[in-house]
Amino acid sequence: MTESAGIIILSYCGAIGLILLGVFAMVMYRHLIRIIFGLMLLEAGVNLFLITIGYRANAVAPILVDGQIPAAAMVDPIPQAMVLTAIVIGVGVQALALALVVKTYQAYRTLDTQELAQKLAKETGVDIIEGTPVYLPSPLAAHKQILEEKST
Amino acid sequence: MNGVWLVALPLLGAFVLPMIYRRHTIVGYWTGPVILIINLAIAMGLWQRVSADGTHSIAMGGFPAPVGITFYVDKLALLFAIMVILGTLILWLGKKMGEVREETLLLLIVAGGCGLALSGDLFNIYVFYEIVAVASYGLAASRGTGAGYAASIRFLILSALGSSMLLLGIALIYAMTGTLNLSHLAYLAPQMLNNSVGLVAFALMLIGLGVKAELFPVNTWVPEVYATAPARISALLGGIVSKLALLVVLRLLVLIYADTSAPLLLLSLGILGVITGELAALRSSDLRQVLAYSSIGQLGLVAIAFAIPGPAGIIAGIALALHHALVKPALFMLTEAWGGQLNRLVGAAQVSMLSTLLFIVLALSLVGIPPLPGFLAKFLLLKGALAVENGWYHTAIAVVLIATVIETAYFIRIMRLMFQSKTQQTADAPLMRDLKPALSLVVLLLISVLTVSPISQSLSAIAEEAADKEVYINKTLPSDWHHLEKVEW
Repeated sequence: MTESAGIIILSYCGAIGLILLGVFAMVMYRHLIRIIFGLMLLEAGVNLFLITIGYRANAVAPILVDGQIPAAAMVDPIPQAMVLTAIVIGVGVQALALALVVKTYQAYRTLDTQELAQKLAKETGVDIIEGTPVYLPSPLAAHKQILEEKST
Repeated sequence: MNGVWLVALPLLGAFVLPMIYRRHTIVGYWTGPVILIINLAIAMGLWQRVSADGTHSIAMGGFPAPVGITFYVDKLALLFAIMVILGTLILWLGKKMGEVREETLLLLIVAGGCGLALSGDLFNIYVFYEIVAVASYGLAASRGTGAGYAASIRFLILSALGSSMLLLGIALIYAMTGTLNLSHLAYLAPQMLNNSVGLVAFALMLIGLGVKAELFPVNTWVPEVYATAPARISALLGGIVSKLALLVVLRLLVLIYADTSAPLLLLSLGILGVITGELAALRSSDLRQVLAYSSIGQLGLVAIAFAIPGPAGIIAGIALALHHALVKPALFMLTEAWGGQLNRLVGAAQVSMLSTLLFIVLALSLVGIPPLPGFLAKFLLLKGALAVENGWYHTAIAVVLIATVIETAYFIRIMRLMFQSKTQQTADAPLMRDLKPALSLVVLLLISVLTVSPISQSLSAIAEEAADKEVYINKTLPSDWHHLEKVEW
């Protein structure tokens, strides 16, 4: 049993590591392609976690032949069905993300999220102060607006 | 006709719509509305049946719960399904011909939304949530501008992170209990999920669902997407789709996390959402963004209401959600002509008195001026929160009142701009095509003013039914399911 416990612990560690790595990449990087790589790592981590939940040591695949339940223990089939669905959804979302990245690059010639946010803010009319878009209230933005109103 | 058709029909429609369009454009143009009208009729029929015979559940493929996937049909689920279908139908009024991609995605959103409302299985909820999410990425970019694509990819990244968190939360719950069925979970929760790991799972699911529900830390996509997407799409995403994610949170709270400190988590996110949303709306200088931030604030109110335990919270939450689903889409429809900087609105009253009157009625209702239904919704929220013996809920009351004052301030400021005399800049008159949905929503709003007492009675009936965990378990699980527990793998 110790050997199988080792496999399970290793697998859980791998899953948690992949999840943390993915979230870290998505939060820390500013390059869109790297962010999407982070998303892939995160999804792989969650899928590994799901598979590990259903794992049993020395178990067989849960397939019934002629309605006979196998003598050996079976692995839990539900997480496997879930992972299959999650992989398909993940691939679809990643493909859509890459398509949107191509369109965004064609429009703005950049994949840096911060530059994108600035260009987007300029188009949608958010105030930009010292190079970063200001979404939350800022006294400086209000002051600028009052000055503009006075001058017109 | 059973509840499965509510999901199956629009899903089927979404797949055949492009083919029909290729043959006959006119037939294609009417396919979407016809499917939605049939769906509405099915939902109304189910409503009659549920009022007469009580709630029922549907087992997919004949496998009973807890092994099979179930749909649970009660008035709460039907109410939200009707809200999605009717809302999409109203936003269909005055649509341009030949927007086949947009129409396909709209039907997908309706299918996913009805699924979210009815589903009684956690993983099924994840799948429907993803259907809604993927359709809304496409819709967010449907204007076809660079800004639309950039807003959509930033929305996608946040939303995909959220969906992974939702899946991780579901995986944790499955690891602890070995089931995904909501009623089986409701039965097992008091012994197995009333611990810190259960709370972590809830927090993960809340972050995941919070992306769509515009909850506090994960709503940065809202102003960007609503400022760049077409008005009809902003109206649908902000007014209607966001409520479905909160409905799932409500189901989790009522069935699984009723006796834990999970409602306090939702309450604090709701309070933060109300504060940040309303303050940002006050300082925003773009009409679309004012409405986007105000929608964050309003959804914070719904979150606060759903965090109140018992039927009182559910009544207030449904009232707030329905009211917002009527008012916010109508306001967004006015931005098709009036979007952009606020000072473009100068002289709007002289250009189009009708739209200005619509804006005033809607804004006053959103703030909560007494004869309009917004007042009743906020009053129910305050009443529910006052009844709870907990300091956090009383803090929430103070926050709601302050937020109402802020809301009044920014809407009055916009109205003042509209009534200023014309300078060199003048507002455009909204097109009749865009006003049609707004007008029909305002008519619905005014009808609800006249029928306040039957509406509040039926709301309390819905809430009583939804808050009853025992009924959910008894109607979903077959009476002899206990022997299933003994099956050893």
